[in-house]
Amino acid sequence: MSNIPQSRQRNFSIIAHIDHGKSTLADRLLEATHTVDPRQMTSQVLDSMDLEREKGITIKARAVRLEYVASDGLTYGLNLIDTPGHVDFAYEVSRSLQACDGAILVVDASQGIEAQTLANVHLAMKMGLHIIPVLNKIDLPASDPEAVMNELEETLAIPREEVILASAKEGKGIPEILEALVKRIPAPSGPLDAPLKALVFDSHYDTYKGVVNYVRVQEGRLKMGEAITMMGSGAQCVPVEIGYFRPQHVPVQELQAGEVGYVATGLKSVRDARVGDTVTTTMSPAAEPLPGYQVALPLVFAGLYPLSGEDYPALREALEKLHLNDASFTFEAESSAALGFGFRCGFLGLLHMEIVQERLEREFTLQLIASAPSCKYQVHLNNNKGEMLINNPAQLPSPNHIDEIREPWVNASIVTPTTYIGTIMDLSTDKRGIFDGMEYLDEKRVVMSFQIPLAELIVDYFDQLKSRTKGYASLDYVESEYRVAPLVKLDILVNGEPVDALSTIIHRDRAQSAGRVLASKLKELIPRQMFEVPIQAAIGGTIIARETVKAVRKNVLAKCYGGDITRKKKLLEKQKEGKERMKRVGSVEIPQEAFLAVLRTDAD
Amino acid sequence: MQRAQPPRGLYLHVPFCRSLCPYCDFVVIAGAAAFGPRSRMGGYVSAVEREIDLRASASVAAFGALGGVRDDVQRAPLETLYLGGGTPSLLPAEQLASLISRVRDRFGLASGAEVTLECNPGADERGDFTAAVQAGVTRFSIGAQSMDVAALRELGRRHGPDDVAESIAAARAAGATSVSIDLLADLPGVTLESWAGSLDAALALQPDHISVYALTLAAGGADEGEGSVDDRLATPAGALAWRRRAAAEQDEERGAQELELLNTRLPAAGFNWYEISNWAREGHTSRHNRLYWERASVEAVGPGAHAFDGATRRWNSANLDAWEGALMSGELPPGGAAAPISDRDAVAEGLVLSLRMSSGVDREAVVAAGFAEALDWGEANGLLLPHPEDAARVQLTMRGRLLSNELFSRIV
Repeated sequence: MSNIPQSRQRNFSIIAHIDHGKSTLADRLLEATHTVDPRQMTSQVLDSMDLEREKGITIKARAVRLEYVASDGLTYGLNLIDTPGHVDFAYEVSRSLQACDGAILVVDASQGIEAQTLANVHLAMKMGLHIIPVLNKIDLPASDPEAVMNELEETLAIPREEVILASAKEGKGIPEILEALVKRIPAPSGPLDAPLKALVFDSHYDTYKGVVNYVRVQEGRLKMGEAITMMGSGAQCVPVEIGYFRPQHVPVQELQAGEVGYVATGLKSVRDARVGDTVTTTMSPAAEPLPGYQVALPLVFAGLYPLSGEDYPALREALEKLHLNDASFTFEAESSAALGFGFRCGFLGLLHMEIVQERLEREFTLQLIASAPSCKYQVHLNNNKGEMLINNPAQLPSPNHIDEIREPWVNASIVTPTTYIGTIMDLSTDKRGIFDGMEYLDEKRVVMSFQIPLAELIVDYFDQLKSRTKGYASLDYVESEYRVAPLVKLDILVNGEPVDALSTIIHRDRAQSAGRVLASKLKELIPRQMFEVPIQAAIGGTIIARETVKAVRKNVLAKCYGGDITRKKKLLEKQKEGKERMKRVGSVEIPQEAFLAVLRTDAD
Repeated sequence: MQRAQPPRGLYLHVPFCRSLCPYCDFVVIAGAAAFGPRSRMGGYVSAVEREIDLRASASVAAFGALGGVRDDVQRAPLETLYLGGGTPSLLPAEQLASLISRVRDRFGLASGAEVTLECNPGADERGDFTAAVQAGVTRFSIGAQSMDVAALRELGRRHGPDDVAESIAAARAAGATSVSIDLLADLPGVTLESWAGSLDAALALQPDHISVYALTLAAGGADEGEGSVDDRLATPAGALAWRRRAAAEQDEERGAQELELLNTRLPAAGFNWYEISNWAREGHTSRHNRLYWERASVEAVGPGAHAFDGATRRWNSANLDAWEGALMSGELPPGGAAAPISDRDAVAEGLVLSLRMSSGVDREAVVAAGFAEALDWGEANGLLLPHPEDAARVQLTMRGRLLSNELFSRIV
């Protein structure tokens, strides 16, 4: 409650790798502090989206206040700001950390520290956050706390005396963690009587309350009835509601410096109240906004098209609505000769793309086709025509207009058991990666660094890495720079017609083999049609591969089951649904998987 | 338009078989329950007699007594009775006779009604043809499946080609009006040559009617059907394994060629194509099956049996214990019914069923019902052509028969 003074507020987040037990630990903390009624306790309370529970990941940051009576007998307000755990959402992590004064670092005692965790801990330390190291899953027979403590000492200079041994599953170590939050993390220190400065670290859109900003109040007070201004956008409003999370919204009259909560603005567009903006009072505004965030830029682009052209307006509306809750994707109208009218969307990564598509389909009951994903290229035109940026392979001008093409590169770091050094080296150099160096975490594990073209990474690098290392290696990457490369456009012709949505930009040396693999993959993925369908791969007008999808010959029902027409109808309806899930391109019906086949152009 | 009508035919399901064939999705109980000291045939017959009584009473309550007129509909006796299975020829002669006479007593059987008995050709399962004819059977449908020894063995059948010949001869000698055989196409491990050989051997036996079904091996077996009620039985694991292996040995192209071969061989042997899977000599089409394709009212009794009264499709539980238990305590068996369908869906269903038959559909009527697009598509893709004897109608081409689902899935 707001009657907990600033000196007894603590703001923290949890840093952990996927599957290292972050959500379970959060659940235990909620239980131990009676934040959630045990009868309403569903597993992984904070991952409230179905998609999050299904995929076992946190997509959106979330906050909750725990009220904890410490060993000193006083009640503390512990504000947990949950962070996403996937590399695609790294930017959300940095945002959340900025609202915190400390972080629990959860490491699986049988697995050791992973690449993204390492990156996030470094980030947290750079921001001056106090780290509470927790070794989780010590109940597992495979756990090796000694080795992992060594690793923490070696790589992060975390003294082993500070490490708390825990098993979130069995509730071990929870009291120690709660005490550590109180004792080790400093109380927030912003002055209460200064002009209001509150950092917006996330937001969502509510039909009744407008844009709801999640804020950390750094200085001053945020009060009901006092008009506020978004210092970045200049938008003004009177708060509709102010409150904190438990994890449901609990309205209060005031949030003061050090507290984490929300303010419902009534504003209708997230553009007016962006994440990273600073909230201040309109009457006596702060002189300077808080540093804010670097805007996360989309790295992966793909066209999203409605299966049926008449759903185009519905797709636009859905994108606009979803964008209110996830400002990290971008969209702009485009049209494709093959797919009709749609939108070119930008995503933080492939997982983000998958999630946006699934949310659009589930929450707005749309049926969509996504084109092959691409990254953003700089194309330098000859004859002094300047430079163009393209994120859709179909836009690539013909080679005789191009001086050079530059593609984005990233710096990737991979944490892996030493056993897989060779295989990762092979995989990365196959993907045009340049080896930068290797550091031993301990005698069994290393961090490998590579420079690698983003285009190679978004194709199946991540899946390959997972499968080749049986899931033991983890990956983190940051964008580095654009570099010139001999890139060409690989076109696919279906039934003699080029299908722009299947075009990809690819390194010249790999184009031949990728073309052959892609044509044969498409042959498998495109079902038999009423006629024979040739599939060709072409580079600059030259056909480099050809396959044929044979015509369907026989599709007839078996014997009527003693007059059981219902079963026949069921089968026909199934076939009908199958057809409806496909996009008609010319006279050929193409399923979604075909458009994603370019992600799997390695011969296997 | 979707109005309940008195039944014109009755389907009676006899679920027992000597042994289970791995490809079969019908409601079948095999082994000790079907034969010998622990046979459940006796209990089954008592129960199915009760069901005949109960369904007949319900029919009288709904449509009035035989011969009467209600709502301008004349209550007429049944035109067809079909004993399907399973292996109905396993019914002892006196029980077969008693069931047929029970149906005649309760529902009526029109003079000249078609009474079909499905038989397996094996010596220990084909039954007594003479007794069957005396009991009132007019038509035998013999489950030959193939005339190829290796194919029959692969299918797990108990009989050989000679048994088929003996069965047909016995049916003829008993005075059957009509003899039909079933064949399966696209069997695992066959060649186009062995199929042609099997077909010629079947034709040499001079049946009156031939049904040819392409073997369909759905991955999940019968469990893929609709209905939460147990209107079908689970497919045994061994059968599923057989199907996976057999499906790998099927071939779409070869299967299509096998069916195309029928188009030349059967007419040459005096058979007319009249439904996607059926050919008959003049006057020998299956009247009972035509009722299904004409979307007529057909009553059904026995475990797992499906009925349609012109408006509602309903089915009995496939579970023999549940079905029998209810009947023995005087109640109708458990089962289910399909949700009512819209008039448009009913028209679509009728269209799909009519298109299965050589008589086809009236082009203008289809257009008027709003299915012009599917019709145009079928014509553009060579699946439909004007009926040779009636230019106002369209019928499936040979290609259309092979690819009928491509058209039908655009209609349902």
